Amino acid sequence: MILKSLDPRVTRLSIELSPDESSVAKDGLDQFETYEAFVQSKEGKPFEHAGPVHAPNEEMAFLFAKEQYSRRGMFCNAICVIKTENIKVSEYTDNGQDIYNLVTDHPSGNENESFEIFHLMKRGKQHKHEGSVLAKDFDDAMAMAKKEFQSDKPVFNVWIVKSAHIMASEDEDKDIWDTLKEKQYREATDYKAADKIKAFKENQA
Amino acid sequence: MYGGGNVFETMKATALADEDPILLAAFEARIDRGEKIEPTDWMPQLYRKQLIRMIEQHAHSEIIGSLPEGTWITRAPGFKRKLALMAKVQDEVGHAQLLYSAAETLGKPREEMITDLINGKSKYSNIFNYPAFTWADSCFISWLVDAGAIVNQIANSKGSYGPYCRALERICAEESFHLKYGHHCVIHLATGTKTQREMMQAAVNRWWAPMMHFFGPSDKISVHSEILMKWKVKMASNDECRQQFLDMYVPKIWELGLTVPDENLKKNTVTGEWEFTEPDWEEFKRVINGDGPCNAERIAVRRTAEERGRWVREALLAPKAKYVAPLA
Ligand SMILES: [Fe+2]
Ligand SMILES: [Fe+2]
Repeated sequence: MILKSLDPRVTRLSIELSPDESSVAKDGLDQFETYEAFVQSKEGKPFEHAGPVHAPNEEMAFLFAKEQYSRRGMFCNAICVIKTENIKVSEYTDNGQDIYNLVTDHPSGNENESFEIFHLMKRGKQHKHEGSVLAKDFDDAMAMAKKEFQSDKPVFNVWIVKSAHIMASEDEDKDIWDTLKEKQYREATDYKAADKIKAFKENQA
Repeated sequence: MYGGGNVFETMKATALADEDPILLAAFEARIDRGEKIEPTDWMPQLYRKQLIRMIEQHAHSEIIGSLPEGTWITRAPGFKRKLALMAKVQDEVGHAQLLYSAAETLGKPREEMITDLINGKSKYSNIFNYPAFTWADSCFISWLVDAGAIVNQIANSKGSYGPYCRALERICAEESFHLKYGHHCVIHLATGTKTQREMMQAAVNRWWAPMMHFFGPSDKISVHSEILMKWKVKMASNDECRQQFLDMYVPKIWELGLTVPDENLKKNTVTGEWEFTEPDWEEFKRVINGDGPCNAERIAVRRTAEERGRWVREALLAPKAKYVAPLA
């Protein structure tokens, strides 16, 4: 039986309503890779983790991230994406313990690669970019981060990623977020109706 | 938007017997302190299972909910309404993406959830199994179904699971646009010509019963979920959500000169509670189990999108790419 819908476009899809089992079953999962997206809300503010996207490659991850996490451009100055498997995640601490107190290695002084460091300062919040360090590998980067960024505020969890593994928006493309004027219809403030209700009530009375 | 009245699995009394009592105590103490649980934390199996189920149902509701509204984009009256409805539907699909990701952090891949949806194994909000006959139906959904969803979502955003709460905070920020847009549409019809008013009233009449079902069966007859309340998975009972919705929106419906098709609906001035005719829970059960006017269509449309889009995914799939769960 062919599906007949109230929506003529759906009817035109000619969907068979009782498909054989084989067309429903998926053989294996065809899911794309996972990327983490970060948003910089304002010039000078740190990049903050916004959430994940799935995409077949970095460029599409970037586009999805832009749609998903910055389509209301007013809160965005820049975005970047990082493939999830390229992020090295530290242990999580508890009871206000600083993760850096668990780091015993000393920096090697071998500074041949750049790494970006993200801090999680509070349970339930999201990771924020803290800065970058030069180091020889991830463990070394963690030791360098301790030297550079440890303070009296305990850090609960650290993400480390090679700077080369980040895809960020270009400064010169910043006008992609400057869409506020044409997209007022996406904002609650564009739907004022108090006057209309008031006039209606007065008419009824 | 989103459906309340989640369908939780019935829980066995022995469900916690296999859990390590020390870890369990630490987990519960963390929740009592008001701290969030993060994906890498230890958690009881039951907590993981029920959360996956709840977040997954929520995600499916966003996807399926965008179908009856999406259908009205090309027929929305005027350019501005078309733009707004398109933006709203895009938001709803975006909500699904955020929610699928939150559920993925608990260990269920997104494609597996989609497979369960198109095979009829997962539930979604029952209200989307009803048809949107006219533009006024679409306006009712945008305003009042979203309003109901907001009641649920605000409650759940104070829950215990970090990734779900963060997704809900983003979602709630966008819902304020949906609510204002929907209200604007309804006001326009309700204060318009006689034909417009009648069309709006007919939509309210059609959608009232599903709207009362939206928050799920009354607490008197629903599955007990004390442990889910204690673990801050479920944040408010079905009746609490329904009462809050009636309190906030019935006066706003009435002030537009619209009526609600339930002669017993009134606020008890002594108890402060709304009284109403008991919704038909048999109908609710029948529809949620597959026998509603649009169940078959909703699933068929989603399944067709999946099947006919397969070649695109296959063309894009890199042979060495591997899926991992999101971090947070
Ligand atoms: Fe919504
Ligand atoms: Fe939504």
